[in-house]
Amino acid sequence: MRIVEVIIASFIIMFALSFANMLAVTPTSPKYEVTELEKMGYNVLFDLDKRGILANFVYNRQWNDLQAALRVLLPLDVYFNLTVCYLNGTEVNEIPIFYGNRETFTSSKNVASVTYCLCGYFNSTINNADYDPRILILQLVRG
Amino acid sequence: MVNPVYDHIIAIIIICTVFISTVIVLPTLGITSVNFKAVDQQQLRNTAINVFNAMLLETGEPVNWGSMRPFYMNDPRVKKFGLASSEDTTFYVLDPDKVQRLVVGNPLNYCDYNRVRELLGLHDYGFHLRIVPPFNVTFLSVSVTGNLLRYNASVFYLDGTPIPNAEAYATVVYTKGNNYFNVSQAGPVYSNSIGVCEGTVTLAISNPDYYTVILKVTVSNVATLVVTSGRNFENKIARINVVYDTIVLTSWKDPPDYNVPPNDNVWILNIVTFSSSGSIWYLFKGDKQGQDNKFNTGDGPFERWSRNFQGLHDFQPVILIFDFWAVDQITGRGRKQVLITTAYPDLLGTNIFEYGDLPKSGSTVVKIQRSVIISGMTYTAELWLWKESP
Repeated sequence: MRIVEVIIASFIIMFALSFANMLAVTPTSPKYEVTELEKMGYNVLFDLDKRGILANFVYNRQWNDLQAALRVLLPLDVYFNLTVCYLNGTEVNEIPIFYGNRETFTSSKNVASVTYCLCGYFNSTINNADYDPRILILQLVRG
Repeated sequence: MVNPVYDHIIAIIIICTVFISTVIVLPTLGITSVNFKAVDQQQLRNTAINVFNAMLLETGEPVNWGSMRPFYMNDPRVKKFGLASSEDTTFYVLDPDKVQRLVVGNPLNYCDYNRVRELLGLHDYGFHLRIVPPFNVTFLSVSVTGNLLRYNASVFYLDGTPIPNAEAYATVVYTKGNNYFNVSQAGPVYSNSIGVCEGTVTLAISNPDYYTVILKVTVSNVATLVVTSGRNFENKIARINVVYDTIVLTSWKDPPDYNVPPNDNVWILNIVTFSSSGSIWYLFKGDKQGQDNKFNTGDGPFERWSRNFQGLHDFQPVILIFDFWAVDQITGRGRKQVLITTAYPDLLGTNIFEYGDLPKSGSTVVKIQRSVIISGMTYTAELWLWKESP
């Protein structure tokens, strides 16, 4: 009788271990890599904003310069796709602000997305700050 | 009486079998080894992030350890390692003096890989640090016709694609004969669609003897790189070093043979420095008879000459140009004004700075990157970390 009990107990232990294994969030989970890319993306946008360059590029629609800035500041193996929107979600940038292989964005499971807001721009000609928010959505993926 | 004993024996055997299969056999069969490996990798990543933060966000101890003079090889006074500047509260701003202490072969000594590993407490780990410029600039040609200097340089991203519309300012430092020394500037010019900047600088004299072009290239007002055109001779006069506000000239010969001929007297006639913002500072002017601006290439201490220039560190110098009154480095005969150019720290320019060991094949390596600022210029710092087998 005890043999049967032990066998049943053993099976319960093995099932428990298997379930624990299945439920565990392993470090291969995409969210670890994504977190790293998100930090990097936010770091770059914040750095550009702090230097006063980001608002200049966005409000003066200097998309090529913005793309070049992101390319020099982000590591070579990080692909990006930046979309600039109005508050209602309409896209502002008429040309893509993009670097890398488009397929990587669709095929990769680890796509990071950073949302950054600009509230306005200081207009030096009228010496006044305009409240005119823009939302920047930066998608990043490792190529 | 016999049955319960057998029951217990068989139960113990079964429990032992289950235990062994769970703890030893299953992982080796690969059922859970993938997860164990993943946990290891995540631990490695966490360690890498902590190490990178210690390197880039902490100043180390003492906070000015990179600027200590004298600095000994693997200086025992350094208690804690960190490259961050103690004078700037902004994140990821590195102290060029500290970075310079990682340059292997620095004549004023450095910390080697094992010492840094020890300071970071990485006994079971190996690491590799890279500091990569944001883009590349290469001189294609530099020529002088009469009093017109022409230069061609290409500007491209690290993947080799050209950068159009990069802004370039050129500065030419030149000498002629025994007494003439001058600096001329021109710009901006912009790179074309294939990333080539072409420009001219009008010089104040024709056909200078020695000249060097300093090109300051900026992409999208974000990243700046200052590069110089190479020289066509090997510098045998002195190595130029900077420690905080002090410029130190050391023998080009390595100890202990630095006190050997040729014994040439050298006078320092002019010293000019450039910052990453493009500012120029005439640091020093001397004559050919002075004693305080004279040293000998084959006689005297290893440190041939040094002088403190108040505010040099805050100026953020990236290029130093010395105009020496010395034996002609090209012909080897007679004295001439000789220009020697040095980038500071040595890693700056278009080279990739690498420090540390390389991982053995098959090891799991974690790689993380951050943007850093050194002497006002933006770079990408990259850390590779791996676990070393005991």
